[in-house]
Amino acid sequence: MIGPPFWLSVKVTAIAAILIFTIGTALALWLVRRRPRGRMVIETLIMLPLVLPPSVVGYYLLIVLGQQGPIVKWFGIRTLFSPTAAVIAATVVGLPLMVQAARAAIAAVDPALEQAARTLGCKETMVLWRVTLPLAKRGLLAGIVLGATRALGEFGATLMVAGNIPGRTQTLPLAIYDAVQTNQHDLTTQMVLLMTGLGFFSLWAVRRWEPTSRGRDRS
Amino acid sequence: MSRLLVQARRHDARFELNVDFSVDNGTLVLFGASGAGKTSTLHAIAGLLALDGGRIQVDDTVYYDASQGVNLPASQRRLGYVFQNYALFPHLTVLQNIAFGLGSQRDRLEHARQWLTRMRMKDFGERYPHELSGGQQQRVALARALAPRPRLLLLDEPFAALDRVLRERLQAELRQLQHDLSLIVIYVTHSLDDAFAVGDHMAVLHEGHVLQQGPLDDVFQHPANETVAEILGIRNLFRASVVGSQLDWLGLPLHTEITDRDKDEVSLYIQPSEVKIMYPDAPVAEGLRDNLFDAEIITRQRHAAGWSMRVRLSNDQNIEIHHATTAYNELDLTPGQSIRVAMKREALQILRRGDSA
Repeated sequence: MIGPPFWLSVKVTAIAAILIFTIGTALALWLVRRRPRGRMVIETLIMLPLVLPPSVVGYYLLIVLGQQGPIVKWFGIRTLFSPTAAVIAATVVGLPLMVQAARAAIAAVDPALEQAARTLGCKETMVLWRVTLPLAKRGLLAGIVLGATRALGEFGATLMVAGNIPGRTQTLPLAIYDAVQTNQHDLTTQMVLLMTGLGFFSLWAVRRWEPTSRGRDRS
Repeated sequence: MSRLLVQARRHDARFELNVDFSVDNGTLVLFGASGAGKTSTLHAIAGLLALDGGRIQVDDTVYYDASQGVNLPASQRRLGYVFQNYALFPHLTVLQNIAFGLGSQRDRLEHARQWLTRMRMKDFGERYPHELSGGQQQRVALARALAPRPRLLLLDEPFAALDRVLRERLQAELRQLQHDLSLIVIYVTHSLDDAFAVGDHMAVLHEGHVLQQGPLDDVFQHPANETVAEILGIRNLFRASVVGSQLDWLGLPLHTEITDRDKDEVSLYIQPSEVKIMYPDAPVAEGLRDNLFDAEIITRQRHAAGWSMRVRLSNDQNIEIHHATTAYNELDLTPGQSIRVAMKREALQILRRGDSA
């Protein structure tokens, strides 16, 4: 059955994408505009899931989300082996791609344009909405597409913190693994082609949205 | 009558800003070399640069007062700012750019269209900034800054990137706008042409300080000190009275083309390198006969580019002469020697004021 894992993947990815976009954009704004102390360390930590084995990321998440972890101890929220855990795992691995793209896009916005907006009566939030974010739009779009696609394809960390429970936490990548294990060749092929198509489409979209050499966006 | 008062202090490791000046209606030129603090001063007035002390005030509106803890954010200062390179929003059309500062007024687009017409750019409203020429971009930037009806307009080297013809046209338009809207204009430039074309007053900036402020002519005629004169780039500047078709410089007749015949007095200068020294026995070339004077060498100094001399003319005034190391090798140019100097008619530059509208 391709339905349940597909729709679960869609839901998990959609929620993760919203989180990745908001957290990633906020982080990028903070890093670029506020230039906090220890920026290099913070940036490196955010990027770490890109290079760590999924099992390492999964292990850290197990500690944070587990019975002895702060989420359970302080907030009493149990997430392990639930779809929520799958969302968290997907968010953590997708975030670096978003932050990277958003940082570059926001840093490329000419500060003089933001200053011009201020002299024209814009408060800081309006500067963000009317100038900074629209001008960084292409980079932000590219970042969220890459991040969401990475979230959709998340396998290892999800397996460790959300498990592989059919109908509950079994996303497409996990279902593919199961289908291979149980020799369901047709199902495997369908799901593999689906994932490949989605991946192709997202990379193609990113190429289209890549900032042009003029750095302008006229849409 | 409006009045802007600026006292702005800021110290950091790299730069010290400590400016103090005031402007009434009219155009004040902030003049100085790059790095003198011109842009920082504009940023301070606009609220784009944090200050350590001082007071900035337009009429009754206090923008900044360190002693009272007042610091109005840039968004509430309601002034017009034309940035270097214009800073037009590339993602918005010309019309949207001009309407940007008009908030949520219902007729904001209508108002913006009126500005387009006023700037003779009626048909360009739907274009994007990168589709415009430099002069058109400059007009849009001016319209965008003026559309919210500010009392104060700040311009940062606005016409630097434009060719001469365009620059002169925009300078005239700016004067007209200043007059029509009775604006206080602060105009940053390092070009004398610009300064004279648009300015009424001038403040000379050097290393973050105002060295001199006053009516443009006064600053030019009486530089407060050598630094000011050097910044203004004037060496041989003098005032002469108009007598018929020629000029009289304290008893010395000067021949040059006079365009402002209605004036009694003109300011003029000659570049030190344009003053030629005559060989005693050689015939005088055609172009040098008009202004030929006896002079006595006072000082003579070697510079990287050549020699510089001060000589005294028969009217007891000193002028400076620069010449290349290779020139006048056969002449004895030691201090105390008498020489003859010549100034071509066209080398005598009469400083022209822009006609204030």
